[in-house]
Amino acid sequence: MMGLLLTLFSPIIGGFIYGVERVVKARMQSRQGPPVLQPFYDFVKLMQKRPMMVHSFHASMGIMYFISTWFAMAVLMMGNDLLIAIFFHVISVLALTIGAFSVRSSYSIMGAMRELMHVVSYEPVVILLAVSLYLVTGSFDIAKILTSDITPIFSLPLVFISFLGVMPMLLHKSPFDIAEAHQEIVGGPDIEYSGPFYEAVYTARWIEYVYVYFIVFLFGGSNYFLGTFLVVFSFIFINAVDNSTARLDYKKMLKFAWFILIPLSMLNIFFVVVGAN
Amino acid sequence: MEALIVLSIVLPLILGAIIVFAKNDILTSLLTWMMLPVMSILAFMIYAADLPIYVDTPHVLHWIITLFDFGLLAYFLYLGAKRKSMLVSVLSLVQFILLVTVIWVLPESSTANIYVDKLTAMMYLLVAIVGVPIAIYSIKYMDFDEKDKHLFVGLVVAFLGVMNFAVSANNIEWFFAVFETTTLFSVIFIGFRGDKEAVDNSTLALWMNQIGGVAILLALLIMIKDFGVYHFTDLLIIDKETMSMAAFGFLSLAALIKGAQLPFHKWLLGAMVAPTPVSAILHSATMVKIAPFLLLRISPIIEGTLLAKLLILTTGFVFVAAAIFALTQDNLKRILAYSTISLLGLMMLAASVGTPTAVAVSIMLIIFHGFAKGFLFIEAGVLEKVFKIKYLQEMNMLLEKAPLTLLFIFFAFLNMTFIPFGVFVGKWLMIEEASGLLSQGSSVLLIALVAIGGVFLSVLYMKVLGVTIKHHRFTDIQVQKQPKTFLFVAIWFYLWLLALTIFIAPFAGDFVAQISNSLTGETTPIHADGLSLVVGESTLYFWQILGALLLLAFIHIAPLKFKFKNVDQMHPYNCGEVYTRQAGTYDFLFLKKYEGIANMIAITLFMLVVVLGGQLL
Repeated sequence: MMGLLLTLFSPIIGGFIYGVERVVKARMQSRQGPPVLQPFYDFVKLMQKRPMMVHSFHASMGIMYFISTWFAMAVLMMGNDLLIAIFFHVISVLALTIGAFSVRSSYSIMGAMRELMHVVSYEPVVILLAVSLYLVTGSFDIAKILTSDITPIFSLPLVFISFLGVMPMLLHKSPFDIAEAHQEIVGGPDIEYSGPFYEAVYTARWIEYVYVYFIVFLFGGSNYFLGTFLVVFSFIFINAVDNSTARLDYKKMLKFAWFILIPLSMLNIFFVVVGAN
Repeated sequence: MEALIVLSIVLPLILGAIIVFAKNDILTSLLTWMMLPVMSILAFMIYAADLPIYVDTPHVLHWIITLFDFGLLAYFLYLGAKRKSMLVSVLSLVQFILLVTVIWVLPESSTANIYVDKLTAMMYLLVAIVGVPIAIYSIKYMDFDEKDKHLFVGLVVAFLGVMNFAVSANNIEWFFAVFETTTLFSVIFIGFRGDKEAVDNSTLALWMNQIGGVAILLALLIMIKDFGVYHFTDLLIIDKETMSMAAFGFLSLAALIKGAQLPFHKWLLGAMVAPTPVSAILHSATMVKIAPFLLLRISPIIEGTLLAKLLILTTGFVFVAAAIFALTQDNLKRILAYSTISLLGLMMLAASVGTPTAVAVSIMLIIFHGFAKGFLFIEAGVLEKVFKIKYLQEMNMLLEKAPLTLLFIFFAFLNMTFIPFGVFVGKWLMIEEASGLLSQGSSVLLIALVAIGGVFLSVLYMKVLGVTIKHHRFTDIQVQKQPKTFLFVAIWFYLWLLALTIFIAPFAGDFVAQISNSLTGETTPIHADGLSLVVGESTLYFWQILGALLLLAFIHIAPLKFKFKNVDQMHPYNCGEVYTRQAGTYDFLFLKKYEGIANMIAITLFMLVVVLGGQLL
């Protein structure tokens, strides 16, 4: 029941997170920032705009990105296997990249290609995260992870750290906002969307916020207070990093993920396995 | 039932011979089309029968096969001399000497030489349902400016019989004979076009596969010396604890070579110079599938040994490395070949792990990879012949050139990696199984390999799909006429894949799990709950399967069919710049320089498998 509610309201929660994020970021830069509800004002404004598109396939892929992200959210909340939810996320990436590839726009195509580099970078770490949660709690089932006696974060500090490293890639935050790269390729996959179709892509990104922060929450196990603390901590951390770093190129992202984050996760898994024996 | 088994081996051989010698268009079509229902029904009847079945064969057959062996080796020797290839000649001679020795020491055995269990029956089904349509396809394919149509179709048909024989052989000496016969066929197929490149590549395939033959003969010798038996079923009942692994080390080596694992992958890559049905048939239902089949046969013996661990390491390495190198390729057929090599790695890895779930994974992958890869190669052939497209760059704007083919390619690629299709389910089960093993304190590296390799394949497929759909205006898409045979085969594969995916839970939970049960002798923790797939404690719910299927169905049909009404169409914004006509995709060429290193690592791992795994030190 809780899962269903969370799924249904995830666009609203995500929009709210995004609103807060903009305020927090502004305060870090000593600015006032927009009102917290600004994303929703944007939503209303974008929906009222005259719908325009490059072609139907491209526009429909924007909407498919939204729907499949929402569906992935539903699977995360109502399924009983974290791994499946992670693989569902790939479908939404497919919709986004295929849509971005389909238009005659160099920035969009470049963005799609970079989006794939994001996948290469974060996906193994996220899968290893699911595996390590299984290792500690004995289940891929989210309900069981959230009720297990063991608090995963204490056994999996390195996995948590590597997930912190991956979060900017998942959420397109600096230094790894390579696919979007506003100053450089003008939003990448998003560039050719406008009006309601852009709103679909925009809202899908909000759902991804909920998706990612919910995975952070899992590290608290049955200790929801700790879970909430981890979410808040990672939220502030990600925004601080976003504010204070410059964008890297995709090779650096790959190297960072492959030669630092994956070995970190593996090291942690190794220690857990050795410790259990 | 014995008669049916013999028929499913002999019938394709006879029909193939008739097709080759009759050289009649109508007869060729008639016989090949007839194969589809006949072979399918035969395979279904055998699968439904009370398995396993032992077929006793007359003693004279044994001598015929031995004679055939010598004839084959003599032919290889002749090829080596004709093509001035030292390697081929030397390897033929070595095999000749080894074979004589084997026959010299071969003890009498009363065990049946043909053994059909559920795994074999499953391979029969695969050959019938995937292999025969490819033969049908090749009839039409060869009409497009190719020579020797009847010879080609006849050989393809006969090859299916050889494959059926290969998976039913219980006697390992017979297995060697069929193994070499498949090599012979692949040499003929690869060299079919007769130009220099084709002949060179077929010579490469010959000597590489001959190393596999040598390995089997060595295994046979060691087996006779150590255990005194040379039948798969006899080996399975020997007490595992005291067994020496040397023979199985060599058998695994043969499997690795047949399965085109790095560094022996070049022969499979070379196969792309042949007419496309050859690639389709080698990659999907036959030839390379002997590799995971052989490992599945011996997996109960090697499970948990050092040999299995080294095999896991080797195949897992290939799984990742081949997927990475696939990214650097720009020829569609080469991309497909690399992804086959990679997935074969995963199949063999699962077979080497040997737990019931892992064995089920291996079988799932054999089946679904067979369907999807056969489908992809068929469409690659259509692109090549009807639309004259071979390279990735030429695939830009494919939608305007070949919308229907794009639809099929899109679907087949989705099958190769996305939830809820079979290959995904295999991958997912493998990660679950690896996690389970991990919590028992073993296989730390296994999980890393399994988690990483799949990602590259997903990205590879998404990249190819992106390229095919690039640069479109999406105006006036016209579905072009295709030859009906091509269309029939494509729709045949499409519908099978769709049906198997919707009913993936009963399929995996009943069909695959039963085969795995019969192989491992344990209960596989996979079962179907209605149309939901339950694995241990995890469930892939039917609403998830259906949801993913609907999402992906929309995504892959939308380019053709979907139109927004009442929405204004604009030119792309593109930041106000003039569109440059071409936006490239990353081709990852910088990765190519690591191919040498990867080959070195693979060679080292091969050595380790034989030397350490086979306990030769």
